[in-house]
Amino acid sequence: MTSIFRASTILLVLLALAVSHGSGQRASQTPPASPADATARIAAAATALVSALDEAGRGRVQFPFEGPQKTKWSNLPTGIFERQGLRMGDLTPAQRAAVMKLLQSALSPDGYRKVTEIIRADEVLRGGGSGRGKLNFGEDEYYLAFLGTPSAKTPWMLQFGGHHLAINLTLAGGRASMTPSLPATQPAKYTFEGREIRPLGKENDKAFELINALDEAQRGQAILKFSVSDLVLGPGQDGRVIQPEGIRASVLSAAQQTLLLEIVREWAGIMNESFAEPRMAEIRANLPQTYFAWSGPTTNGSVAYFRIQGPTLVIEYAPQKSVDHIHTIYRDPTNDYGAKFAAK
Amino acid sequence: MLIVAIAGSGASAHRRDEYLQAARLAIDPHRVEIALDLTPGIAVADEILSEIDLDGNRSISDREEQSYAHNLLRQLVVDVDGVPRGVALVDSVFPSVDLMLRGEGTIRLRVAASFPRLADGRHHLRYSNANRPDIGVYLANALVPTSDRVAVTAQRRDVDQRDLAVDYVLFTGSAARTVGDVALGIAGLGIWIALLRWCLVTARKTSQRC
Repeated sequence: MTSIFRASTILLVLLALAVSHGSGQRASQTPPASPADATARIAAAATALVSALDEAGRGRVQFPFEGPQKTKWSNLPTGIFERQGLRMGDLTPAQRAAVMKLLQSALSPDGYRKVTEIIRADEVLRGGGSGRGKLNFGEDEYYLAFLGTPSAKTPWMLQFGGHHLAINLTLAGGRASMTPSLPATQPAKYTFEGREIRPLGKENDKAFELINALDEAQRGQAILKFSVSDLVLGPGQDGRVIQPEGIRASVLSAAQQTLLLEIVREWAGIMNESFAEPRMAEIRANLPQTYFAWSGPTTNGSVAYFRIQGPTLVIEYAPQKSVDHIHTIYRDPTNDYGAKFAAK
Repeated sequence: MLIVAIAGSGASAHRRDEYLQAARLAIDPHRVEIALDLTPGIAVADEILSEIDLDGNRSISDREEQSYAHNLLRQLVVDVDGVPRGVALVDSVFPSVDLMLRGEGTIRLRVAASFPRLADGRHHLRYSNANRPDIGVYLANALVPTSDRVAVTAQRRDVDQRDLAVDYVLFTGSAARTVGDVALGIAGLGIWIALLRWCLVTARKTSQRC
């Protein structure tokens, strides 16, 4: 009798666990808002921020949609590169909170995590005394700008960046483009509130997983026989398309293709899921014409460069002589700054 | 030539003791244009500046810019199908001395080599940069050609990317037109045969002449 009771108790517990796990999954699988709704929410958050600013602040944040501000972004710190826009360090706590709320609505949870961890890494740099001379580091040195009036329907752009970060998000009704963008970090690993933080750790680990999942012949195609010590299509290289190199994704196995797409998602998934999913679908459709190239050792923890390039995609990951200082770039040569739909 | 106060937007590096020299090659049927971005790191910037600022007045004149650019051009080799091609300066932009000394100023040179009409088919371009190999770090990439008459088929480099060899195929306009004309002719013939067949079938059914 006791054993029957025990067995039924275990069964009930397992059933309860299964139910709770299932409902948890369902909760996490809540479909994202439609792209048009997402744009409306981002525009509303932007408008709320604008209304929280004084006249001077409103003047600083707003730029024409077409103009030099669009391409004026960099990975460099203040003191070398002078950004225009709303400086975080000049805002009140309430205004700052409104900026972060806007970023939360514009980015996916993982994208928001990445952005805040990159900013925090710069704060670590500042704390380490790197801000000597005219160079300024830290979370105060990030800037927000709107190009065009935030709107649910007409094209506008949200630009947020500072040292090691450039987010260029163009919204046009239900469509969005987050290219070109530059997520980078130094340090690449630090401790915050007792936790180890690696802002671009997943990018690194997934890429090493893929290169090690290739067989010898595939690695022979993927690995470039020369060193690549920096981004080829970094800031200032708008409109340029280099010849693709490396291994073509069409010759990868289904499992390897999945790994490749998971790497891509680390960049394409920075923006709000409502836009990230159509973007991933586009990249998936172009997978047969997409290339993966690698330069450097294949043991995780080594300094290694990689590039993923397809018809609508360029991703580069370039350690700066050290695994603790990473630059990356994310582009869509057909739709940087939302050129494809912003013109319509 | 232009001295810009903020030329850092194109630089992505914080290299201290290296001289980053990034070349992007645009191949056209009669010309190759090379965009060369040169970024001396903070530890070597003073040394590079002394090569540019010949009078040592901590200011770069137009003449000094021209002189440095032309000296650098002599370090470049471009040949097509084994024939050396002269490289000419198209344009140059120098950063401010201050920016350069902070290790984030990028010198931008646009150079080009022109060559006479080449035959259709395979060609081979070689680019080599011998400038300051003691501190140089190099990138060299062919761009996707903007002309549909040029297709890059392969790139090979030495381990440092100082040397880049590009294999490419050249289609002349007439060849492209010929292919287009043949395709159009075949399509037209197909349509004419279909129409004729339809006419004959209809005529047979109605006992009329086609």
